[in-house]
Amino acid sequence: MGDHLARAEDFQNKAEKKLGGWGLFSSKFEDAAELFDKSANSFKLAKSWDKAGSTYVKLANCHLKMESKHEAAQAYVDAAHCYKKTNINESVSCLDNAVNLFCEIGRLSMAARYLKEIAELYESEQNIEQAVVYYEKSADFYENEEVNTSANQCKQKVAQFCAQLEQYQRSIEIYEEIARQSLGNNLLKYGVKGHLLNAGICQLCKGDVIAITNALERYQDLDPTFSGTREYRLLADIAAAMDEEDIGKFTEVVKEFDSMTPLDSWKTTLLLRVKEKLKAKELEEDDLT
Amino acid sequence: MSVVFEGYERQYCELSANLSRHCTTASALDGEQKKQKLSDIKAGIDDADTLIRKMDLEARSLQPSMKAALLAKLREYTTDLSNLKSEVKRVTTSSNVSLTARDDLLESGRADTLAVSNDQKGRLLMSTERLNQSSDRIKEGRKTMLETEELGVSILHDLHQQRQSLLHAHTTLHGVDDNISKSKRILSAMSRRMSRNKWIVGSLMTALVLAIIIILYFKLTH
Repeated sequence: MGDHLARAEDFQNKAEKKLGGWGLFSSKFEDAAELFDKSANSFKLAKSWDKAGSTYVKLANCHLKMESKHEAAQAYVDAAHCYKKTNINESVSCLDNAVNLFCEIGRLSMAARYLKEIAELYESEQNIEQAVVYYEKSADFYENEEVNTSANQCKQKVAQFCAQLEQYQRSIEIYEEIARQSLGNNLLKYGVKGHLLNAGICQLCKGDVIAITNALERYQDLDPTFSGTREYRLLADIAAAMDEEDIGKFTEVVKEFDSMTPLDSWKTTLLLRVKEKLKAKELEEDDLT
Repeated sequence: MSVVFEGYERQYCELSANLSRHCTTASALDGEQKKQKLSDIKAGIDDADTLIRKMDLEARSLQPSMKAALLAKLREYTTDLSNLKSEVKRVTTSSNVSLTARDDLLESGRADTLAVSNDQKGRLLMSTERLNQSSDRIKEGRKTMLETEELGVSILHDLHQQRQSLLHAHTTLHGVDDNISKSKRILSAMSRRMSRNKWIVGSLMTALVLAIIIILYFKLTH
């Protein structure tokens, strides 16, 4: 381990010297770049991520001076991967640079992929607003490149986080859009009822019973098999429970659905919000009477 | 819940055991004693009838789950009672020992009604238990099926993604193919130009050398 560290320092010093001095045939940037690469590798082996990251950034600068943007962007990406383990902000800024370079070159799909990575980093930091922003950008890029599946995946995440941030209308639109697109595809049509369920839960969180019944009818039109599924029955029962303001029925229906397929944490949070709303409405009614 | 019913049931079982015993003894007797025994038996049969009717009412007033089991038991008892009645009729109408003996041979023995009914109760309980177990198992199976379905959906999603990336790679490779053929053409053009240049330079050099030699020659021979 110490050996790698020493070798890495050695390479780095040589590279710096090359940059500082005068090179014949002006090949100094290529040589320096190669030495930087070797040094960064050794830093990675020695597990000193910060130093590796900074070396990769220097490598990227070299490539930029040599006008090879692709190599520079790749070096930024490597730097970001090293920084991921220690300092997330640095990592994000490196990825940002990389994305800009990729856009300039015109490799939009790679740009989209790295935007998605940034969004995931923000998600792991629980910085949900930024994550939403980046997922949206990534979805746009993917759509431009006609890579619809990844675009849908990013949009799904956007809808998930929007619902968590209480921007229900947006999530509903996104989920319905995804459901409509998935219907046409033989492979994806079995996932449609999951998307419609998510959209339905968002509708319930909005709290407007008439809208929910309309929405259920619309989903019925979209997908004729939807009304036979347990998801539809769950939504209809919850809508009925909300209409009658009966919390016991609500809990019973949710428990029954949960006993068959366990609900994940996102759905549980949203359904809990619906229940709180119902309870609040009930208390309100009691206050008035 | 069905304590009353169980009470009636016990009474009926006792009574029917009694009656069947009396029947057998009465068939062995003769004359006046026989007639007395027969009237006793008739009274007992009437009692049994009322008991059965009471049990019926009781069973119908309970919940449907209990009702089915109890009504089944009740049917057993009614058939039992009708058997007893036919026995009595046979005893009253027959006066021949040989006839009764022949009837005894032809009819199967029904002495132990009590034990039989207990046995049936046990069997019914076991079958209810087994039904419950199978419905539990069906529920478990349904849960597993739903999980498998979810898994299948996610696998299909992944497949779709992979299909898209494969198609993308396919298109890119076609582009790469075109670019490679273009670069091959360019390289061959470059090498042609290079060899042309070499020839031109070579011929120019020879021409110059020849010119120098001619000039020198003319200078030297003048």
